[in-house]
Amino acid sequence: MFDEMLSSQSEDGREPYKKLLAWLNSQDLKKLSTKSATAEELFRRVGITFNVYGDKEAEERLIPFDLIPRILSADEWRGLERGIIQRVAAINAFLNDIYNGQEIIKAGIIPADLIYKNKAFLPQMCGFTPPGGVYTHIVGVDIVRTGPNDFFVLEDNARVPSGVSYMLENRSTMQHMFPELFTTHQIKPISGYPKELFKSLSSCAKTNTSDPNIVVLTPGIFNSAYYEHSFLADEMGVELVQGSDLEICDGRVMIRTTAGTETVDVIYRRVDDEFLDPLSFNPNSLLGTPGLFDAYRNGSVILANAPGTGIADDKAIYSYVPEIIRFYTGERALLNNIPTWRCAEADNLSYVLDHLNELVVKEVHGSGGYGMLVGPAASKRELAAFARKLRANPGKYVAQPTLALSTVPILTKSGLAPRHVDLRPFVLVSPDSIKVTPGGLTRVALKKGSLVVNSSQGGGTKDTWVLGS
Amino acid sequence: MLGRHGDNLFWMARYLERSENTARRIQAALHHALSREDEGQEEWTAIVVYDGLATVFDEKYGTPSTTNVINFLLRDRDNLNSVISLMSKARQNGRSVRTSLTQEVWLSLNESWIACEAALKRPVNIHDLPTILEGIIKGSSLFRGALYGTMLHNDIFNFICLGTYIERADNTIRTVDAKYHRLLPTAKVIGGSEDQSQWEVMLRSLAAWRSFNWLKKGRLDPLGVSDFLIFDERMPRSINFCYKEMSSNLEELSNSYGRDYKSLDMAREICLDLNHARSQIIKKINLRDFINEHIVKNNQLSLTIASDFNFN
Repeated sequence: MFDEMLSSQSEDGREPYKKLLAWLNSQDLKKLSTKSATAEELFRRVGITFNVYGDKEAEERLIPFDLIPRILSADEWRGLERGIIQRVAAINAFLNDIYNGQEIIKAGIIPADLIYKNKAFLPQMCGFTPPGGVYTHIVGVDIVRTGPNDFFVLEDNARVPSGVSYMLENRSTMQHMFPELFTTHQIKPISGYPKELFKSLSSCAKTNTSDPNIVVLTPGIFNSAYYEHSFLADEMGVELVQGSDLEICDGRVMIRTTAGTETVDVIYRRVDDEFLDPLSFNPNSLLGTPGLFDAYRNGSVILANAPGTGIADDKAIYSYVPEIIRFYTGERALLNNIPTWRCAEADNLSYVLDHLNELVVKEVHGSGGYGMLVGPAASKRELAAFARKLRANPGKYVAQPTLALSTVPILTKSGLAPRHVDLRPFVLVSPDSIKVTPGGLTRVALKKGSLVVNSSQGGGTKDTWVLGS
Repeated sequence: MLGRHGDNLFWMARYLERSENTARRIQAALHHALSREDEGQEEWTAIVVYDGLATVFDEKYGTPSTTNVINFLLRDRDNLNSVISLMSKARQNGRSVRTSLTQEVWLSLNESWIACEAALKRPVNIHDLPTILEGIIKGSSLFRGALYGTMLHNDIFNFICLGTYIERADNTIRTVDAKYHRLLPTAKVIGGSEDQSQWEVMLRSLAAWRSFNWLKKGRLDPLGVSDFLIFDERMPRSINFCYKEMSSNLEELSNSYGRDYKSLDMAREICLDLNHARSQIIKKINLRDFINEHIVKNNQLSLTIASDFNFN
């Protein structure tokens, strides 16, 4: 098992962690634990919470925050950054192709059925290119690690990735509690993210207007990520709207304000595709705005991300990303994929069924860690039940080997203890650049041995540092 | 600003003001009950009747014991006007407009909510009551302090003030109404100790006991009290004060949006009416009609504000 802090010949720990480890050794760990409670208190007061669906009692929960930062060296980060930019560029080229020429299908690289029969494919987007050619304005690429130089992409979140507010709040909490660490380490700043997001969204609207009116569209205060929606609107200084605040007037999107109506140019929407517009998508959606999609197709408003981007990030398409990168960039993928068995294919399915207790099986359209099977951790009965589900509906699933994910210590009552982590860097795409905020959100499985880091499943987070060179 | 956000700000302020008023009313009744030889039962019952909640209360509790009344008014979620229900709604509205509030204003609201939820988790006994009530009132004061000290005095601020003063005016009118129903028939024989303590409860529940004594040197007479609570422009809970504030906030909105509003005309008219009525009331014109009329007018003004500024 690779521990990012301690797996080293030297007792001082791995290079990026040396100063931190020395500092930790000089601290009274009991006192640090009380700092942990202070941090939680701070999060609760500020209301940095998320809602759990179907959990009436604990309507708002805190995401547990661990004090020990996760550190990446400048070199490690440079490699990741290049790989992420390459990947995200290819994903945008892929989306443009799928909704226009479909060369990649014609070339026989991606089976047509995988696109056309995919729920995430929106025929309404065909023949339309979003302003600036940008489909995925915001992407979160989930990355895991198994060794010093072994990074793998776990999934690409190209729809409405969340978590960036935790990345930012974790940093400011750490700065508040341990200012001394920030004077002894050179840590790449991340606080510019909201301004970058604003600039990035504005740049897509440049062709429409010089001073675009940007809004953040939220499903409302009961959405699990509502805190993040309000945080981003706040930090960008823009309105936080719901579908019912918008109306379409002469093909333009307007908001009703206390002083009358205003035109909207860019919508950073945190509402899923199917709920955007009851006229074009789910007719029962109460979250959306009738006519929004038509206004979008007329070019009078920008939606970020574009509808239909889910076709690039579902777990079946994921397995093709290395080919997608090669097809559009002519390059070899810089970041590895995890080998993936597509259960829709018969020989894959039989392999998966034979090795179920070694594999992680996920729903192609699932997210948030719901509905997945972690083979090595499952009981015989659970395995048998899952095998039945797999046979009944193989196309719904993909399987991957259980990787020996790297660990980073967390602070527990009895001192430091290793726990598995992943990393979600956040990527901003504008017509002329792709930028990755240094670091990202580190999610950590708080239970010993657990590989599930999702906050909906009891995972926590850590501040993530990228050191200067 | 979004119309919906205007609505959220307005109601956040109304609910918060209402929860503070409820706490003050309980505080006054508690003071009354503790300053008597008997348990002051009548006063506890009177609060429930005041809130128009007698039916809801009777169905659920039956006997108006002190503990029942306290818990009904503070922590019963079936009672839409209990402090816990009101604080929860105030916070929910606040949470919907976090982006319009400064960090300090939001924190004061959220912290009050957290404290309130913790304090009212279990049934309240009279031993803890004074501290809990103080906490609720202090939370409201902190909110106001953060509001005046950190917010831009713009339309956001105006909508919060409008909510506060509409609610406060409503509360003052209703408080006067409730007491005068009971007191006026006997007003001629004022001076008895029962009357004395009733006036005191009313003044205390409007945070006006001390200031009234300053002004009137302790002389309690019905017309003096009504004049003070309805008309005195210096008294921050008088009806006149509330309408002056509403007019000036509506005027600022009208200036900053560059439009005329029906609600502004209404508020101004009520101000003029009040000045006119003051001379009449002093001549002992029927107070009850005046009060009933103003409960209706206040409600109409609230609805007109909602439609003038696209709250929906």
